[in-house]
Amino acid sequence: MIANTLTVVLILAGLVFFAAGTAGLLRFPDVYSRLHALTKADNVGLGLVVLGLMFQASGPADILKLLLIWLLVLAAGTTAAHMVAQRTWTHGEFESDR
Amino acid sequence: MNGLLVLFDLVLLAGIVGVAWRCLASTDLFRAVVLFITFGLLLALAWVRLEAPDIALAEAAIGAGITGALLLVTLERLRSIMAERRSGRPHTPPPDPTGPHALLRALHDPPPERRTFLPALTFALVVGGLLVTALWHQPQSTGLEPVVDAHMDVSGVDHPITAVLLNFRAYDTFLELAIVLIALLGAWSLGRHDLIPARPAPGPILPGTLRLLVPVAIVTGVYVLWAGSHAPGGAFQAGAILGAAGILLVLARPHQLPMAPGVPLRLGLTAGVALFLLVGLYGLVAGHGFLGYADAWAYPLILLIEIAATLSIALALVALFVAGRPAGDDA
Repeated sequence: MIANTLTVVLILAGLVFFAAGTAGLLRFPDVYSRLHALTKADNVGLGLVVLGLMFQASGPADILKLLLIWLLVLAAGTTAAHMVAQRTWTHGEFESDR
Repeated sequence: MNGLLVLFDLVLLAGIVGVAWRCLASTDLFRAVVLFITFGLLLALAWVRLEAPDIALAEAAIGAGITGALLLVTLERLRSIMAERRSGRPHTPPPDPTGPHALLRALHDPPPERRTFLPALTFALVVGGLLVTALWHQPQSTGLEPVVDAHMDVSGVDHPITAVLLNFRAYDTFLELAIVLIALLGAWSLGRHDLIPARPAPGPILPGTLRLLVPVAIVTGVYVLWAGSHAPGGAFQAGAILGAAGILLVLARPHQLPMAPGVPLRLGLTAGVALFLLVGLYGLVAGHGFLGYADAWAYPLILLIEIAATLSIALALVALFVAGRPAGDDA
């Protein structure tokens, strides 16, 4: 019962970060502030969802797998954000063909 | 609980159709490619909901991941070709619609007129109607599941999907491997060896992350290959994961690519098809039929073919990304 409540609370908290990150991605004016909003969804939002799901895991193996997923997304997300920011810094905002 | 799942499915369906529509309707190629990748991820989620994790893995890794990377690098190459042409001839006369490079130009031309709307709508309604009718008249049958289950003990593996792919319907898988190889031969026969138009980000972060991610990708790839005999996984998924690791390495260091040695590269690329063919021919001679195995040998042979196929698929995907033949090997 306590585990289920914790899961629901943590996942809902994570979803708030995802919603805020998405809103920021859509509404913020430039690349840097959009990245700032997006990385919050990836890092904290997914972290809270993973933490919530850990209370439903059937054993330590599942918990470690969930942790690994979060760490991998952290590494990949951070690098991707860094590369987008770096490219914007050196080449200016991305311009589409149209 | 069930109502929530139905709601989820409906939202997912709406998302898939919506993203597909935006992807097709987009006049901006970059946006279309990004939407295509999104479409692939949503489709993978749909396969999960249909309880087909094997296809979901393949769709996410190959359909969204590798195909997305191939489309993006193609787009980048198209851009550099277009920029070259613009800077070379600033005042060109209006291009001949049937002339050379017409296809390339068509990609950047405005979408067709509104008058195509009615035929397109009619076509879509007819095809859609036919599909719905086909769904309506679905025969009441349990499919092939009982047949596969009844023969699992002679398949050599414990996972029904792998049993179908590499034993009962090995012919299909063999041809799929051959298609990957033929696609690569097609790319190579165009004879380009230009560098990948990548601009690696300076600084230690990308190399540092790759040092972390590439070993993880290799372990994951080998695990997925090994898991294929008793759980979702197999050669195509494992090959896609290893290929993705290779593409990341290529993208991070496009100017320091080690020269791929010609003969080992070609041996690796053809290993899957060659070994499959060899085993198939042996089965024909030994009386099990083309691509048939002796029951006792089924497991080791399937494992051997899967390992060779994984190697070939991974190499072929990286080679397709690099596109041209290795430089200095025109012989």
